[in-house]
Amino acid sequence: MYDEMVPVTENRPLTGGHFLLSVHAPRAARATRPGQFAMIQLLGRPDVLLRRPMSIYDLTAGNGRGRRKNSAPEEMQFLYKVVGRGTDLMAKLRAGDKVGLLAPLGHGFFEEEYLSQAREGDEVVHVAGGIGIAALLLPARQLARTGIRQRLFFGGRTKADLVGVEDFKPLVKQTVLATEDGSRGHRGFVTGPLEAYLARRSGKKILLMVCGPWAMLEATVSLARQYGQRCLVSMENRMGCGLGVCLGCCIRVVGEGHGAYQRVCTEGPVFWAEKVVWERERIPKT
Amino acid sequence: MARTSARIKASTRAKANNGGGKGAPAGEFVPKIDTTLAGVRFQNPVMTASGTFGYGQEFAHLIDLNQLGGICVKGISAEPMAGNPPPRIYETDSGMLNAIGLQNVGAKRFLEEKLPFLRTLKARCIVNVFGYSTEDYVRCIEILNEGDGIDAYELNISCPNTRCGGMVYGNDPRLTEEVVAASKQAARFPVIVKLSPNVTDITLTARAAEAAGADALSLVNTFVGMAIDAETRTPRISNITAGLSGPAVKPVALRMVYQTYRAVKIPIIGIGGIQSATDALEFLIAGAQAVQVGTANFYAPDTALRVVAGIREYCRRKRLHLSELVGSLKVPESPAAESSEH
Repeated sequence: MYDEMVPVTENRPLTGGHFLLSVHAPRAARATRPGQFAMIQLLGRPDVLLRRPMSIYDLTAGNGRGRRKNSAPEEMQFLYKVVGRGTDLMAKLRAGDKVGLLAPLGHGFFEEEYLSQAREGDEVVHVAGGIGIAALLLPARQLARTGIRQRLFFGGRTKADLVGVEDFKPLVKQTVLATEDGSRGHRGFVTGPLEAYLARRSGKKILLMVCGPWAMLEATVSLARQYGQRCLVSMENRMGCGLGVCLGCCIRVVGEGHGAYQRVCTEGPVFWAEKVVWERERIPKT
Repeated sequence: MARTSARIKASTRAKANNGGGKGAPAGEFVPKIDTTLAGVRFQNPVMTASGTFGYGQEFAHLIDLNQLGGICVKGISAEPMAGNPPPRIYETDSGMLNAIGLQNVGAKRFLEEKLPFLRTLKARCIVNVFGYSTEDYVRCIEILNEGDGIDAYELNISCPNTRCGGMVYGNDPRLTEEVVAASKQAARFPVIVKLSPNVTDITLTARAAEAAGADALSLVNTFVGMAIDAETRTPRISNITAGLSGPAVKPVALRMVYQTYRAVKIPIIGIGGIQSATDALEFLIAGAQAVQVGTANFYAPDTALRVVAGIREYCRRKRLHLSELVGSLKVPESPAAESSEH
């Protein structure tokens, strides 16, 4: 984990209010494992206190050279959507601006454990909802190097939300898209075509790797349970520190741990689906 | 303003020459910034606040913990506590709301798993203690008394986020007196009492704590606040109300330290929105003998160390020892004449 000020090299606007931010951070990039995240601090706005948690989308050689074989990465990329005050400020960053970077953080996709799971199985199916796609590219890259067959199921509200599909194409055997308004791929939620696929492949052993909004995670996890497939989820939550001390990002988990709650930033962000308590907790009345 | 600061400079220079000078040349003044409070010597007056620094180890690879004055660990209760359901935090302008619900590993596991590391540090180890009843506090302290390497307790009688919890104590001088007296009697180590700002007159609970034998006071804890999502008309935090911290609360916390300094004789540790040495200096000048850095640890882990360096530099520049700075606020003799300048 490194805490450093790093320069922005590019902040490229994509469709639907999405951006791809690149920063020059060789030390942090080299230490990153698939599924880990970073805390990004925006400077010059003292009223915006906290760093923002961001999935590490990709690692590149920089200078637009993409990723070369056997070369150590120099840059870290973040795929994000403008949804609030922090991401709104982030969208205004330009090449040469500095940001505070605390990275890499979290456990990622439990490399050793999931690689052996994936090898035993027939294939890996990535399931992304909206900006959840940002957590899945590095795992897909790593799995592609091992030769495991992969598919991507990717859903968004509209076609402008389906960013990054091109990055996955060389890595996966099949890409299945869905939009709620039907502007691209299947009309409806991505869990529709996913269920059809899991039903068709019921004899196979599939590892699901999922990231997206809570309702989509819940639906996907329920499908995985129904079809007897294992499922890893990359969780999202508000975070105060990313270091495991504020306890602000805790989610309810099954059994013991840090109480009945575990920290997304430290015990996660990736959890086995059966570890998470999916029933939404009601807000208590006073 | 200019006139006031000029006067401070003049008076402190005179003091410094008497105190640490020994006729040393101007450039060689070495300020003493260590401080002793509640019978414990701290190598500098900067600590990290409870709930913002875990058990210390989480920051070990980011900053040199041995340069801190002290570490106040996350509130410990006799039994482990699960905490509140999410969402637990929300960022506000220049501040943040939290309702963690005192999630912690419990006193026994703290002794086994967390204390051995803290014991190895030069920074003093202050254990924040929490309970739902006077018996809880006493039971927690009795377990912690076995611990080797604890320098002091900080009684949390002011957490706003647990139902029928500590704030009941923090709001009522009589209950404050009861829990402090019982804790003090049980405690093997000095007792610092952390006060709630959610009161009309903080000097009442401050005096009550002092009367019950508190060795020092720390103030303030978070301010009860809330935030609402207007789109969904739901609270931003599951607990509905939550504690506000960060730079937004600093002026109010500073005022409370100033008032308390004039009301009690025991030392005060100032807390509330400190993110720079200048912030910390304001608290020291208002009467705090030490400070705690809280929320800033989340977004700038090196804050406490920058504050230490800044205080040392200020004292060198002003030719002042820390002890001369504490409570050194210069109030213009005729406030009416002063305000007429504006």
